[in-house]
Amino acid sequence: MKTNSSGLNKLIKVLYLALIVFFLYLPIGTLMVLSFNSSKSMGSWQGFSLRWYKEMFSNAELMEALGNTLTIALWASIIATVIGVMACIAMNAMTDRKRSFFMGVNNIPLLNADIVTGISIMMSFLLFGISLNYGTVLFAHITFCIPYVILSVMPKFRQLENHTYEAALDLGASPLYAFFKVVLPDIMPGIVSGFLLSFTMSVDDFVITHFTRGAGINTLSTLIYSQLKIGVRPTMFALSTVIFVVVLLILVISNFVRGDEEEEAKKAAASGKEYVYKGGMSTKRTLAIILCVVVAMAVAVRFTPSTPGEVGDKGVVYVYNFGDYIDPELVDAFQEETGYTVVCDYFDTNEEMYPVIKNNTADYDVICASDYMIDKLIKEDLLMELEFGQIPNIQYLSQNIRDFMEEFDPGMYYSAPHTWGTYGIIYNSALVDEEDFGDEVSWGILWDEKYAGKIIMPNSIREGDMVAAKLLGYSMNTTDEGEMREITDKLIEQKPLVYSYANDNARDLMIGENAYMAVITSGDVLYAQEDNEDLAYVVPVEGTEVWTDCWAVPKSCRNYDGAMAWINFMYSYDAAVANFEYLTYAIPNTQLDDYVYEDYIEGEMELQDIGIVNPPEEILARCETLKNLGPEGDDMYSKYWKEFKSK
Amino acid sequence: MAKEKTLIEMIDISKSYDGEVVLDEFNLNIKENEFITLLGPSGCGKTTTLRILGGFTKPDTGKVLFQGEDITDMPANKRPLNTVFQKYALFPHMNIADNIAFGLKISGKSQEYINDKIKYALKLVNLSGYEKRSVTSLSGGQQQRIAIARAIVNEPRVLLLDEPLGALDLKLRQEMQYELRRLKNELGITFLYVTHDQEEALTMSDKVVVMNQGYIQQMGTPEQIYNEPENAFVADFIGDSNIVDGTMVEDYVVKINGYKFPCIDSGFGKNKPVDVVIRPEDIEIGKPGQGIIDGVVTSNVFIGVHYEMCIEAGGIEWLAQNTRSFAVGQQVSIGVAPENIQIMNKPQSEDEEAISLEDVLGDESEGTPEEL
Ligand SMILES: Nc1ncnc2c1ncn2[C@@H]1O[C@H](COP(=O)(O)OP(=O)(O)OP(=O)(O)O)[C@@H](O)[C@H]1O
Ligand SMILES: [Mg+2]
Repeated sequence: MKTNSSGLNKLIKVLYLALIVFFLYLPIGTLMVLSFNSSKSMGSWQGFSLRWYKEMFSNAELMEALGNTLTIALWASIIATVIGVMACIAMNAMTDRKRSFFMGVNNIPLLNADIVTGISIMMSFLLFGISLNYGTVLFAHITFCIPYVILSVMPKFRQLENHTYEAALDLGASPLYAFFKVVLPDIMPGIVSGFLLSFTMSVDDFVITHFTRGAGINTLSTLIYSQLKIGVRPTMFALSTVIFVVVLLILVISNFVRGDEEEEAKKAAASGKEYVYKGGMSTKRTLAIILCVVVAMAVAVRFTPSTPGEVGDKGVVYVYNFGDYIDPELVDAFQEETGYTVVCDYFDTNEEMYPVIKNNTADYDVICASDYMIDKLIKEDLLMELEFGQIPNIQYLSQNIRDFMEEFDPGMYYSAPHTWGTYGIIYNSALVDEEDFGDEVSWGILWDEKYAGKIIMPNSIREGDMVAAKLLGYSMNTTDEGEMREITDKLIEQKPLVYSYANDNARDLMIGENAYMAVITSGDVLYAQEDNEDLAYVVPVEGTEVWTDCWAVPKSCRNYDGAMAWINFMYSYDAAVANFEYLTYAIPNTQLDDYVYEDYIEGEMELQDIGIVNPPEEILARCETLKNLGPEGDDMYSKYWKEFKSK
Repeated sequence: MAKEKTLIEMIDISKSYDGEVVLDEFNLNIKENEFITLLGPSGCGKTTTLRILGGFTKPDTGKVLFQGEDITDMPANKRPLNTVFQKYALFPHMNIADNIAFGLKISGKSQEYINDKIKYALKLVNLSGYEKRSVTSLSGGQQQRIAIARAIVNEPRVLLLDEPLGALDLKLRQEMQYELRRLKNELGITFLYVTHDQEEALTMSDKVVVMNQGYIQQMGTPEQIYNEPENAFVADFIGDSNIVDGTMVEDYVVKINGYKFPCIDSGFGKNKPVDVVIRPEDIEIGKPGQGIIDGVVTSNVFIGVHYEMCIEAGGIEWLAQNTRSFAVGQQVSIGVAPENIQIMNKPQSEDEEAISLEDVLGDESEGTPEEL
């Protein structure tokens, strides 16, 4: 009986442990597996490949961001450790009351929300007229690391073997000698953990870096975040895997070293020999090893050839763009052709870019922004007019796009389109009934009970409402409360049929055949088709939203000629082709009309004949662009959206 | 004690922490090659006195002179004295040899000299062969001895020792006491020794300083302190005593609870209230009627060489020690030889009030409300 129950107990314990380990490591495990997937999609396994690792190491931007991350983390944690330890020395000499006061002061920044810290540091820089750059990020990181150092070193001071410092003085040591010989070894574990904590905090940080970085300075976190618009590329999986493995290695090595010493001590004790104390050494050695690895990595990264090395003689052009939104090789090509040096910087959403331009926290020469944001920036007088005399290639801009531009940049003074697209339905032709997707498809198909549980809808207010509005025959920019009511009811009615409300991962869910149809932007379709040939795209007859992302020049521009050259370059044939091939988004450039797309799933075809990137006139006639509705409109939309979401 | 030269003078030293006075106008002279002991209850300021001498604490007022030279503001590492700290303060990340060699290395001694010294010092403290051991692998007593060794190897002019034998067992303690005395005589080091063990103070010292609450209660040779305590505090602190209220009826006669005892004191005036101190071993126990008061034995404990008994007599519980045992409940009488009765004035001034017995007791059990 007894052995039985204890055996069961043990089994439960083991199971429990296994379960914990499983859940802790499942996500990272998945990611590691996917990093070797030759397919771009997370949904399907298409064979082992090192393709993403290659791409990662040859991606100069990524490598530079990695370099920045490591050097910033290294310097920030070293400097913060030195400052923190000195602060601890001072605090240790204080009376109890003063010390607890300062410890309280020290703890407040720890509890403070990152976003508050980030914004306040940014504001202070701006207030003192310090322009944001690498140094400001480093400074900010040092600032937020110091409290962590103090927090982990101070207790060591308090636990200091009683009066050893005084004993050293008593034996004739100078205060400095006593500190290094006696105090430092004792507080070393605290210093090491403070340093490591700072280092990880610095590597981890996104929010504070985001607010304090200058043009062109990216760490891994800000770079990855800015690329979310296009979807996370598998190179990120490769990078995460490498980082994880390196951390694991460091841990194993440091454990190994420590274990070795313990072994030695045990052996000595067992063999009757005297035990030789080495306790102080192991942490020192661990630290040394970790430092070596980090330095080696930082150096390696620093010496990988990175693009913005050669400085052209015509000055620097600062480009602020959605992450991963041009073919990265174009930067080099542009530099070679024009002699400008380019510094690229990235954001994820228009809303993220807006305050940067509005508050002028970094000076960019040319930015990329969506239609409704261009409208807003123009109205707030934040853009400069474009001098199209310097952009001769603008002649290749497609006519249909010019028409849409009237809605957000009447007369086309301020912006030049970079990409454009429609919203429509992506469906799996092998899984749906053929007759449902004939020539004319209605948005109503998304309300068809037959496809219950196989439908993916957008998870954003305006796109979600757009689908229902179009179906009901209303404008997607309606501000009529009655129409809004109907739109909301329509969406609520659809709720039981929906598999998922998704934005970025709709594409992957479709590739993985988790659903039969999804609302998606045309730009993602060609990409998805590469991984699943059954996927097809249709723009419903009721019309849809058409969107345009445009180049524009903010008022803060300091290299106007460079900005013009950049835009002009983007309209060149080579650049247009490169961008199309890289993004598979529609590029509004007439030179591409007869470009033959070789990878198209239906066989080679000229782009003008592919409806996905070039919708027919009659559909475009029923399309609208997203408009700014002002605060009142926004409030109404979110009110109804909340109601819909809560049902 | 050939030269009676003054080595250290503490003049009017005062020190308070957060308004609480720890030392109040403290004066102390330490002569060359003297073994001086500070004796007093916990918290009376012994360590504070040592720290002021060692240079780790600055006095609020007053001066410290070393051979006539003012060293009040001299940093600790420049002072020609070494300290054995109450809490050992060994360097935990160094082995024993490195601990002992610490001071020698700083003063730039040769490696050979250092090695010799380490051997010598370890032998002295009975820990030969411990060179390579780690501090944490030693017992408390062993650590304490290493702390002594570490201080001694530097051959300081003055050695300050803060309860250096506190963690040792009786036998080892006696051995170490003997060794320390021998060291003092051999090396000619002046010792300032702190303890709250009165027996240790009495056996080792040339001079004992009894302290309480920052004041010196009495200073003198061990014999003076033991035999002629100047007040009830000293009497009580130096060994167990019967301290009872009495009245000096006239010269040579003291009345305790109505019973007259002959004594050898005079000059207190008539019917003067006094404190009477009688050591337990001085109480003579006899058959009822033979002594001065009759009483009954209420308890009896064997404590080694002799029996310790409580005797209820004349409304007072007397503590008595005797090599003969008297059973509990036995009727006895007690008496005291006149020369063994110590008469002391009742405390009157505020200063003396501060050292009254109630205060001492109150100090040990801080926070208990005062009884009416
Ligand atoms: N750094 C300090 N801050 C505040 N109070 C202190 C400090 N050092 C000592 N004291 C106080 O001064 C008084 C005397 O302390 P001290 O250490 O001199 O006592 P001690 O006689 O050595 O006692 P013990 O026999 O317990 O070691 C105590 O009440 C103690 O609380
Ligand atoms: Mg003390």
